[in-house]
Amino acid sequence: MNKLKVGMISFAHGHAFSYLNALLELPQVEVVGIADEDFSRVEAVVNRHNLPYFEDYNDLLRLTGLDAVVICSENARHAQMTIDAAHAGKHVICEKPLGISVTEMEQMIAACRDNGVQLMTAFPCRYLAAVVHAKQAVERGEIGRILAIKGTNRGTMPGRWFVDPALSGGGALLDHTVHVMDLMNWFTGSKVTEVYAYAATLFHEGLQVDDAGMIHVKFENGVFGVLDTSWSRSKSFPTWGDVTMEIIGTKGSITVDGFAQKNDLYSDDIGKGQHLFWGDSMDLKMIESFVNALLEGAPAPVSGIDGLRSAEVALAGYESVRLGRPVKL
Amino acid sequence: MDKIGYKPDKSRHIRKPHPGCIFALGTLILPSIIHEKGEWSAMKIAIVGCGGLGTVHADCYSAIPGVAVTGVCDLDADAARKLAERTGARAFASFEEMLAQTECDAVSVTLPSHLHKTFAVKAAMAGKHVICEKPIALNLEDAAEMIRVCREQGVRLFVGHVVRFFPEYVQMKRKVEEGAIGRPGVAHAKRFGSHPGLKRPWFKDDACSGGAVVDLMVHDIDFMRWTLGEVQTVYGLRAREGDVDYNSATLLFESGAVANLEAYWGYAGPFTTYAEIAGSKGIIVSDGTRSRSLQIRKSSPGEAGGPFVEVPQSPGYRSPFLNELAHFIDCIRSGEEPIVTAHDAYKALEIALAITESARTGQAVMLQAGAGEGSR
Repeated sequence: MNKLKVGMISFAHGHAFSYLNALLELPQVEVVGIADEDFSRVEAVVNRHNLPYFEDYNDLLRLTGLDAVVICSENARHAQMTIDAAHAGKHVICEKPLGISVTEMEQMIAACRDNGVQLMTAFPCRYLAAVVHAKQAVERGEIGRILAIKGTNRGTMPGRWFVDPALSGGGALLDHTVHVMDLMNWFTGSKVTEVYAYAATLFHEGLQVDDAGMIHVKFENGVFGVLDTSWSRSKSFPTWGDVTMEIIGTKGSITVDGFAQKNDLYSDDIGKGQHLFWGDSMDLKMIESFVNALLEGAPAPVSGIDGLRSAEVALAGYESVRLGRPVKL
Repeated sequence: MDKIGYKPDKSRHIRKPHPGCIFALGTLILPSIIHEKGEWSAMKIAIVGCGGLGTVHADCYSAIPGVAVTGVCDLDADAARKLAERTGARAFASFEEMLAQTECDAVSVTLPSHLHKTFAVKAAMAGKHVICEKPIALNLEDAAEMIRVCREQGVRLFVGHVVRFFPEYVQMKRKVEEGAIGRPGVAHAKRFGSHPGLKRPWFKDDACSGGAVVDLMVHDIDFMRWTLGEVQTVYGLRAREGDVDYNSATLLFESGAVANLEAYWGYAGPFTTYAEIAGSKGIIVSDGTRSRSLQIRKSSPGEAGGPFVEVPQSPGYRSPFLNELAHFIDCIRSGEEPIVTAHDAYKALEIALAITESARTGQAVMLQAGAGEGSR
């Protein structure tokens, strides 16, 4: 079997652990190394799986036979790492948001294109089974034509570099616009033309970035979307957050609650009720889809352009917040 | 007053006067006067508009001690006759005749919304208290006029923002007030149902109903303003096609809190409400789909359209409408301020209209701080 050789660059974003598990689960993949300037962050997985470790990701990129890299660094470092990987001729799957400015995202896309490598944006929500089925139902015309979509991607304040604007590029509005905005782009098949947003720091005093966000978009085809991006789930809440969509059509509506497949656990050891998700792993499906596309020589199933189309909405959102009015995209 | 049993006993109120008012009848001019021994005089109510809410009002009044419906009025003689039979009141086709002949103390205005002002003003001019369904009116000039005329005539004006009487919303407001969730941050509310215009066409005409924002979202607008304070800016979006009228609005409050409200006519499911407020140290959620304390399921023959019929319910001993109307009656008797004032109704309409304007212009609309009736 022709195995795909994959390396991982940075575990700054915790999703890296889940992506690594997915890679390890796939028989068609060989994980050839992990790069992270902070060894303590990856020590456990490097030892457990007996993986080569690189302090400098450029050393990982020089490995012969390396086909692709997974980048889970701080948002502000996505661009440089992606461009370096492209120059080294490696395919890239990059954590969301793809970048923190439109210019750098365009440079990432161009570098990958010019070097003949694939760039995929990590949008695992496209692989939630409920989302996949909802998309098919829309395509079958079950709710007529889409008129509007209301979404939520609420979460828990992540702390660490996520709340340092120099590394994250923004707060909840950037962090949590992109997933569901990508779904809205995908479902409507249209392009956002106007953005109106509100963002503020409402839940965590003294935070340097926004932790509350409500973003509104109008699409070229007349559809509108509204999305709550807030890090509003309290410590007492039974789960980390949610991904939901209410799709209103001319002949019905579809409600997607991506993590509704859960059991309720009440344990005195924990002291609060907990939602335990038991649905299929979206991360595994996404990584598998990326890997298989590369093995087949097919285009990445979610592109760099998709990443740009979603992140630019969040960036326009910040512009709208600054101006206090809708802005054109 | 019986707080538990919801057992309408019409004979107690309609056919016999309330014991407390027997001695007062001879001198009664405005019968909402307290009898000198401290007992209540019977209060006579006339209802104009004998549709769905007219019937709800009538049924509620029949359950309130010391209240009698003495007249019902509708242009549709059949509707008036049916409600007259249900209540034992006289049916009228002419509102003026009803005002003149029923000796009513108060009038329930349960007409299509564009008629609220005309009839509320007529009732007030005749010296009757006004209990008007929401929205107060369809424009601020009408709303201000209703408030002004009622004030000048010395009669009370109540507007039926009944959500303030739904226990789940009352509890939510109280918990937020108590600080249970810390500082309120991001809120959501939704109200989904089938299009009322399918049965009553006036709902489909914005000139009569105001559309789903002014008619339906106004409930959640009032609730959120009640709970989160005054609104600074609104942004509205509307999708309307065929039998679907879907509206989304984001309210930015003076406190910095933000709320997104959805009002959806044409929803292909059972009537659904949802409200949530997330704060700096907690979250409170009222999910209508999870408070269906009673589900009746029946196997049904093929002609019913499916293998079974399922009716979700959330029953209580006293309906929120009964609590609301009983409260308004108490306020008339005691002179106290109601839980929801005419000013609150004016503000809710002002916000709803700003949302409508925003949806039309595509711009966020700023509300005037501290604006009141007559200031616009």
